[in-house]
Amino acid sequence: MDNKKSQQKDTIDRRDFFKKTAALSVTALAGTSLLASEEALGKGDPAIMHHTKWGQKWGDPVTANLYGVPSAYEHNNIRRNTSLLSSGNYRASIAVTPIHESEGIITPNGLFFSRSHGGTAHVDPNEYRLMIHGLVEKPIVLTLAQLKRYPSVSRTHFIECPANGGQEWRGPQFNSVQFAKGFMSSAEWTGVYIKTILADLGLKPTAQWMLAEGSDNSKMGRTVPVDKVLDDAMIVWGQNGEALRPEQGYPVRLLLPGWEGNLCVKWLRRLEFSQEPWYCKEETSKYTDLKPTGKAIQHFYANEINSTVTSPSPEIPWTDLKDGDIVEIEGLAWSGMGTITGVDLSFDGGKNYVEAKLKGLVLPKSWTRWSYMHTYKKGQKLLLTSRSMDDAGYIQPTIDQEVSVMGVEAVYHRNAVETWEVTETGKVNHVQIRS
Amino acid sequence: MFKLDRKLIISTVAITVALFAVGCVGGETSTPTSDVVNTPLDIDGGVSYKVINGKTGPYYVNPQVSQDAPKIFNGRTPTPAEIKRWNTDLQPVSKLSPEGHGIPEGSGSVEDGETIYEAKCVMCHGDFGSGGGGYPALSKGNAYALQKTLTNNRWKDPEADGPTRVFGSYWPQVTTLWWYIRDGMPHPFSDSLTVDETYALTAYVLNINEMKIDGEDVDDEYVLDRAKFLKIVMPNVNGFEPNIAGLNALADVRAYYRDAKNFGGQNLNQGAVRCMKDCQKATAKVKYIQNGGIQGFSPKLTAVRDLPKKKAVALDVKKTYNSNCAMCHSSFLSPGSADWAGYTAKGIDKVYANGIKGTPGGMPAKGGTALSDADFKTMVDYLISGKLK
Repeated sequence: MDNKKSQQKDTIDRRDFFKKTAALSVTALAGTSLLASEEALGKGDPAIMHHTKWGQKWGDPVTANLYGVPSAYEHNNIRRNTSLLSSGNYRASIAVTPIHESEGIITPNGLFFSRSHGGTAHVDPNEYRLMIHGLVEKPIVLTLAQLKRYPSVSRTHFIECPANGGQEWRGPQFNSVQFAKGFMSSAEWTGVYIKTILADLGLKPTAQWMLAEGSDNSKMGRTVPVDKVLDDAMIVWGQNGEALRPEQGYPVRLLLPGWEGNLCVKWLRRLEFSQEPWYCKEETSKYTDLKPTGKAIQHFYANEINSTVTSPSPEIPWTDLKDGDIVEIEGLAWSGMGTITGVDLSFDGGKNYVEAKLKGLVLPKSWTRWSYMHTYKKGQKLLLTSRSMDDAGYIQPTIDQEVSVMGVEAVYHRNAVETWEVTETGKVNHVQIRS
Repeated sequence: MFKLDRKLIISTVAITVALFAVGCVGGETSTPTSDVVNTPLDIDGGVSYKVINGKTGPYYVNPQVSQDAPKIFNGRTPTPAEIKRWNTDLQPVSKLSPEGHGIPEGSGSVEDGETIYEAKCVMCHGDFGSGGGGYPALSKGNAYALQKTLTNNRWKDPEADGPTRVFGSYWPQVTTLWWYIRDGMPHPFSDSLTVDETYALTAYVLNINEMKIDGEDVDDEYVLDRAKFLKIVMPNVNGFEPNIAGLNALADVRAYYRDAKNFGGQNLNQGAVRCMKDCQKATAKVKYIQNGGIQGFSPKLTAVRDLPKKKAVALDVKKTYNSNCAMCHSSFLSPGSADWAGYTAKGIDKVYANGIKGTPGGMPAKGGTALSDADFKTMVDYLISGKLK
């Protein structure tokens, strides 16, 4: 009984402690004195001083999850949708990637953004066929096993919907980095260069264009110039070391590195070569950029040079930082036209810039991480703007520069610099700087 | 060598382009490695990473592949019937192809089209193609008048009218409509309409867009057939750049993307400046999200790390009693025991509160269960009364 009583007392002390630390977090948020912590820590951090729920009992057997899943505590690190972008009962819609939680330059397959024009198709790999015909000497039909017998290559590339940021031509709309910049993800893709297959099939001299068509209910199709087909276009079946997810076109999709996501046709079933282009639905009704001249850009292939600050973000702000804290400002830079060569960072919304540092692998047409070490000053208002450059010579335009050519009705391919406002209390808001 | 070839090609016709293209299939190892640089500005305005010293960019390539690739044929030849079954695309009438490609014989009337529309399309696309519920409108009125709204732009006056982009006012080719109806519609049951039904629906969509064919109104009595279809000229046929038609198309596209000014880009090799100090106009202002911006996020935005809320499971009173309460409460304050009176005299709420928090006397909080407060109170009620409710 004595023992029981002492345990009981222990529980009470512990409860008291949690109350105190909870109060303490609140005061920390309010940015006042932390002297109270001395008293609270007198008995030590209960996360250290006490047994944990998991520390003494058996864990799960190794056979518990034969396909692993994230910790239950990570249940908020998920794709999200908004009712505004939910055409077709969520079948012609998009679920976007939580890039504020993304680490490195690879998106886990379960978080890869999902966009389709008729819902996610579930293709039986045994009934999968790929047909290549038209202006080739030898047309071919391949099963999945036959396709995968071609010599493979693995390449790390982002895929981006060209509508990433497209809601914000006339002003900022999303107070969220997931929605403002998360219409994209990145993976290591495995497949075969189309030029490797064509080496035997023999492209006829008159071929200028390739139709890529999906087997989903929308028969999603796009026209691709042979330049890209013979450069780095791939037919892929692998995504981060496993089969493509259904949302990414299982079992096979087209991958055109750096180009619009919708051009990378999913559930791919047919490639046809022709002298003339096709005018598919998604290359004229959508995915065209109307300019103030009244002319629209069609066949706007590559996602242009772009970047964003991912930390801090509206989702994960700096409200818990203390004056003098040293913190890493981090972000992503990407270009569908080449390799990132540098990123500049502004603390005043683009008036003055300093050079940020690239970090990790810097690969062509890939997400690239950048970083800048910053000493936080409590109460200081900041306007964080990043601006990236690539080896094709492109540098992100200002909003004024881009709008002066494109107007504000283009919908797609918006790549001007973007700004986070850090308020005096460390909250982060999406803003734009315009004249 | 690569660079020179490309320059030559730009100034000549597309047939040469295609020949060149064939030449470079699997030609990775034949590319000289000493004097080749990555060719800046390929067809998309970006860099193409040629194989140099056995690598494309940072990636090694197996040089054996390009030697062996011309000998690999892993599949089989499709039969003509198989190609015909999948090759259902349409290509428009052009200078090179006065009959287009894939445009089948058949016909359909506006009247029949309206009947099919009312049965299979109106629930999503709305009355007379007005759209709604997130589905696109098929018409907003007279196509020729609306095509003139494409120069509307709200960049200087946010209150001005924007452009109207629907099939009639915007799409450059009618083949796009026919093909998409045939292969992609109706959305929940696509590839289910006949050729004649597709002509009828196309006629109806032309009708509600108040279009003309060869000078004749597509009125309510109009019957569309292949010959008339070939004569359709969309109001916005010349509304797009770069040019993608004809034998010079690829050269036109390449030239377009070589100039960043065409698409609102800034290129440091084309006169753009990387400004580091005093880069802004005095008129630059911070623009904030108006009226809360776009929301409706699902699920709601949060970066909290906690356990997901457990789905409510119906409380099994007897089972919970046996597993969590009986070890003490079968002998002390057992269900229905008169001894409870000494505790309930202080008010049932006090009993509930003690049970929920636990007591120094040995009662663990909620008896060591993870029950909700409401379910825990049900257990207390059972212990006091000895009866299930």
